[in-house]
Amino acid sequence: MTRDEIKDVILEIIADIDDEADFDALDADAPLRDQLDLDSMDFLDIVMELRKRYKLQIPEEEYPELASLTSCVNYLEPKLQDV
Amino acid sequence: MAAYQLIIIGGGLSGLAAGIRTARFGYKTLILEQHSLPGGLNSYYTRQGRLFETGLHAMTNFAEPRDKRAPLNRLLRQLRLSRKQFTFHQQLASEIHFPDRRLRFSNDPAMLEEAIAQTFPASIDAFRLLKERIADYDPFTVVPWRSTRAFLHEILQEPALEDMLLLPLMVYGNAEEEDMDLGQFVIMFRAVFEDGFFRPSETMREFLSLLVDQYKEFGGELRYRAPVSRILTENNQVCGVELENGEILEAETVLSTAGMPETIRLSDWEADADVYSGRMSFMETISVLPSHISKELGDDRTIIFYNKRSTLDYRRPDALLNTFWGVICFPEHFAGLPLEETAQIRVTNAASHPLWKALAEDEYGSQKAYWTRAAIAASEEIIGNYQASIVYQDSFTPLTIERFTRKAQGAVYGSSRKIKDGLTPWSNLFVAGTDQGYLGIVGAMLSGITVVNQHILR
Repeated sequence: MTRDEIKDVILEIIADIDDEADFDALDADAPLRDQLDLDSMDFLDIVMELRKRYKLQIPEEEYPELASLTSCVNYLEPKLQDV
Repeated sequence: MAAYQLIIIGGGLSGLAAGIRTARFGYKTLILEQHSLPGGLNSYYTRQGRLFETGLHAMTNFAEPRDKRAPLNRLLRQLRLSRKQFTFHQQLASEIHFPDRRLRFSNDPAMLEEAIAQTFPASIDAFRLLKERIADYDPFTVVPWRSTRAFLHEILQEPALEDMLLLPLMVYGNAEEEDMDLGQFVIMFRAVFEDGFFRPSETMREFLSLLVDQYKEFGGELRYRAPVSRILTENNQVCGVELENGEILEAETVLSTAGMPETIRLSDWEADADVYSGRMSFMETISVLPSHISKELGDDRTIIFYNKRSTLDYRRPDALLNTFWGVICFPEHFAGLPLEETAQIRVTNAASHPLWKALAEDEYGSQKAYWTRAAIAASEEIIGNYQASIVYQDSFTPLTIERFTRKAQGAVYGSSRKIKDGLTPWSNLFVAGTDQGYLGIVGAMLSGITVVNQHILR
């Protein structure tokens, strides 16, 4: 998957979690949590959805890697390169 | 490999919420419900073509859709239910009714503050301080039990106000007698006095079928009339369950929402079931009457929490029923609900399960009829007479609750000792629901979600 495709996947997963999430003013380098009002339960859903779709195991100590959109893409790029 | 990754005992709100979570992420999940309907403590039944809800007076924790961190909205997101699927109706107002004193509150916290300023002018600053202390308190960090009564008295120093504030919060979610854990009090204070009461536009039947549909949509399986007789263990692990008909179902993990005493019994857990048996149970007296009469009696109130004595006696009564304090609910009195021809008045009073249990079979019916009349008469002293206008009447006692929900001793709020971490001596058996911690409809669903998130979706 390309970086753009990964970004789209993340946004799609978030949109699925919160159908009112507003991405228009999203700063890719700032924490998703504050911008979109996500909590730890929502982050678990992102992790679980990635596992379901791509059989990707993300250990709990690596959840902080998913903090911003850019950090998500950086973290997932090597893991999803063959998808 | 076991047939199921997860078996959930109980199709109540915590079990359904837990099941939606695991099914959604592809876990092969089976919910076993003993009854022919879902809902557990919050179910429904029909009599003479009328639908009666068993637990729902009002849901707590009202929140506007934009408040994404509110428990209600977090809950719906976790179940992947869109807030837009629901029409919610807020309460009109509710009243705490003590001898010579009344406090009205609504979903706007300013109403309660104004009522206290008028009724307890000397205590209003202390009440504002109380609200600040509550806002600063984190009830989700596990700390040893702390007395709410001592906390309230230290700040308010006005026993009458302390009892008045405690009544709604205790009766809507306190398993303990006399006092309440401070963390639980803070959760309930926010849920009732700050967020407030609401209900969905339809009944519990539609709400439950929405949950069941969501669960099945994600691939979850649900069996009704499937009472579990044993939780099977092997080499210090749980390996499945046996049904009352002898059928054996294997599972990698089991989640029990049947309550601690039942879970102890089913699993041969070496724990004292009595320690986990709650003492607070209730009798519910439901009257159906023409809606214009209920509207007049209600006087724009949704729920009335009454006490005819000056101090609050929140404990299991020494008689079959204690009508000195209770709850009078008008389930149709929510903003924007269409006016039907008839409406209900529901009266809830503390009842003694052991005394109901001790009745001979031929006494049960006459005692139930006697205490139904007593409950109605007690409520008439608060809202005015309505006995003569009743077109249909039904009641249920702690024994009814126990029979349909398996809640030991009909203790709707379970034991005062909660299993907050949801853990058991078996690494793959977990407990959720009333005995895990949170109470009420929103609380029960959050319990199922929390336990699954912490222990199963990993």
